[in-house]
Amino acid sequence: MSALKPGETTIMAVKFDNGVVVGADSRTTTGSYIANRVTDKITQIHDRIFCCRSGSAADTQAIADIVQLHTQMFAVQSEELPPVKAVASIFQGLCYQNKNQLSAGIIVAGVDNVNGPSVYNIPLGGSIHEEDFAIGGSGSSYIYGYCDKVFKAGMSKDDCVEFVKNAVSLAMTRDGSSGGVIRMAVITKDNVERIFVPGNKMPEQYLG
Amino acid sequence: MTSIGTGYDLAVSTYSPDGRLFQVEYAEKAVDNSGTAIAIRTKDGVIIAVEKIVSTVLEIPGSSRRIFPIDHHIGFGSSGWVPDIKRLIGIARDEAWEHRKSYQMPIPPKMLADRVALYIQAYTLYSSLRPFGASPMMAGMHGDEPYLYLFETSGAYYGYWGCATGKAKQLAKTEIEKLDLSNLSTRDAVKEAARIIHTVHDDSKDRLFELEMSWVCKESEGKFTRVPQDLYNEAVEYAKHSNNDDMDDDEEL
Amino acid sequence: MNSTEILNLKNQDVTENGTYKHTLQPIVTGTSVLGLKYKDGIMLAADCIASYGSLARFRNVQRLHPVGKATILAGSGDMSDFQHVQNLLEGVMLQEHCFDDEQEIGTKSIYKILSNVMYSRRTKVDPLWNKFIVAGIENGESFLGYVDLYGTTYQSPVIATGFGSHIAIPILRKYAEPRASDLTEAEASEILDNCMRVLYYRDARSFNKIQKAKVTSAGIEITEPYSLSTNWDFAESIRGYGA
Repeated sequence: MSALKPGETTIMAVKFDNGVVVGADSRTTTGSYIANRVTDKITQIHDRIFCCRSGSAADTQAIADIVQLHTQMFAVQSEELPPVKAVASIFQGLCYQNKNQLSAGIIVAGVDNVNGPSVYNIPLGGSIHEEDFAIGGSGSSYIYGYCDKVFKAGMSKDDCVEFVKNAVSLAMTRDGSSGGVIRMAVITKDNVERIFVPGNKMPEQYLG
Repeated sequence: MTSIGTGYDLAVSTYSPDGRLFQVEYAEKAVDNSGTAIAIRTKDGVIIAVEKIVSTVLEIPGSSRRIFPIDHHIGFGSSGWVPDIKRLIGIARDEAWEHRKSYQMPIPPKMLADRVALYIQAYTLYSSLRPFGASPMMAGMHGDEPYLYLFETSGAYYGYWGCATGKAKQLAKTEIEKLDLSNLSTRDAVKEAARIIHTVHDDSKDRLFELEMSWVCKESEGKFTRVPQDLYNEAVEYAKHSNNDDMDDDEEL
Repeated sequence: MNSTEILNLKNQDVTENGTYKHTLQPIVTGTSVLGLKYKDGIMLAADCIASYGSLARFRNVQRLHPVGKATILAGSGDMSDFQHVQNLLEGVMLQEHCFDDEQEIGTKSIYKILSNVMYSRRTKVDPLWNKFIVAGIENGESFLGYVDLYGTTYQSPVIATGFGSHIAIPILRKYAEPRASDLTEAEASEILDNCMRVLYYRDARSFNKIQKAKVTSAGIEITEPYSLSTNWDFAESIRGYGA
């Protein structure tokens, strides 16, 4: 496995005033065969904390399960909503300590009572980076330019949903390892809303 | 207490017929033999003050302290057997550090209190173990919110605005109750704490003592540290002055 | 090595022939950091970027990390290992706090702890993939030390890691080292800016968003990220390739 190969996906998370939007494509491949065209790569860790998984499905599912367990323990013991940072740190600890045997790039996003909305990116080596928005997976390399140009601090919720939808769909058309549908979730203090964009209703773009 | 155990006080794993655990109560007695420790919680901080009794002039001043930092934002004040206290300090420090390592954030005082209490409680379950002869108090911050807990020898713990253990706990509690805790500034609380320790100290029984004071509050930037020397001196001055006034009053009567 | 032994190996990559490796490669990396001694203390500089191969992936990373009140750790190399070292030192500082003796661990001790960690990890053939500069003031004396993934250490009035050791060192040697004891803050600052500018021109992993830090008897000060002025004017008239 080449070391710089990120997960064969496109995943993303953006922070806005009182929440976060997370998004992902739905393609899982084994080589060039699409093993699953409707995968759900957005995983709920707690009431208001989600993660986007990229890399080995087996690895990231196993990690997410472990983190979910730790998070639930944390939540009952502290009797409050777990901080996003705490959850991201559990992910980071696992990814760092087992970096040699894992292939996992994870974005953690959510809302808590202390810090409000936050987005954390945990790339391959197991470092942790807090960001205003995070992109990951093989598809992300095609949309850095788009994201840097379009992202503005202080965007509204609807702006963020559009931003994620456009960015992920652009990545999906250029990256053979990304595709299918777009799954998104909008997480705010009071609510989690799932948004689904089917593969035949993607935003318009130049197709050559 | 001495004659009423009658066979039911030989092990902590045995209840007496009226549902008491004598060993736990005896442990409490051990705590009551030690110097007084008090803590006061204000709007933005907690202050711990301890009367460390010095048994001989040969003891090096400032040695074997009875207030222990646990994490940057949490500290223990103690009464009881110092070696027992130190075991609990070790447990608390390990728990706090494990939390920091796993979650990259300070442990909420409530969570730490839960774990320390659980540990104390476990020592009341087995005939082969002796309950801790210690009743520590824990001061800490969670964000801007101050917290104060006192652990009993049974493993029970409660949150307080003010608490006291050791020799003169009753007298100290009465003194703390007189304070207007919801309006008291943390600096003033330091002075009052010093005054109370000086007030309750019994010169006839223990000639020498050292006053130890640490706090965690806004002014200490959320860190559990010793009270700054100038404030400490000011507080001791205030304590001595108020106690002299009391004496003058006594003479007038 | 039999199969059970292989299965029991932790944190190690087992290869097909039964040997194992846990030495990896850095993945998310920071490029050079620079440091120099001047009249009032120590000054350091680093850019704010963590690269992912040639991708400028994270552009808001602070690589000048304060440890206590009078020490700064500047890190280049693998960012996950750098963060690991930061956590490790946080533990050391917490232990210190718990001594409650109103003293803080000094720069030299931090440097010693760090170099022991770096050397012991390399001895396990599992190095922390970094090159660090430790800088600070202890007992009124300024300190500037280097330690890397091999456990190599040295102290010098000017230090640079990575690309900086090729490009910045000659500049630092010429302008900073001979006058270390009477360089003013403004001069030190300018020399570092000039080094960072050349690095920005010549290091393909650098970025024009940098931070500087100083340790003086007054304590630590880390600047907000800022950009350097650059000059491309001479390029306009260039035509062809000299044939």
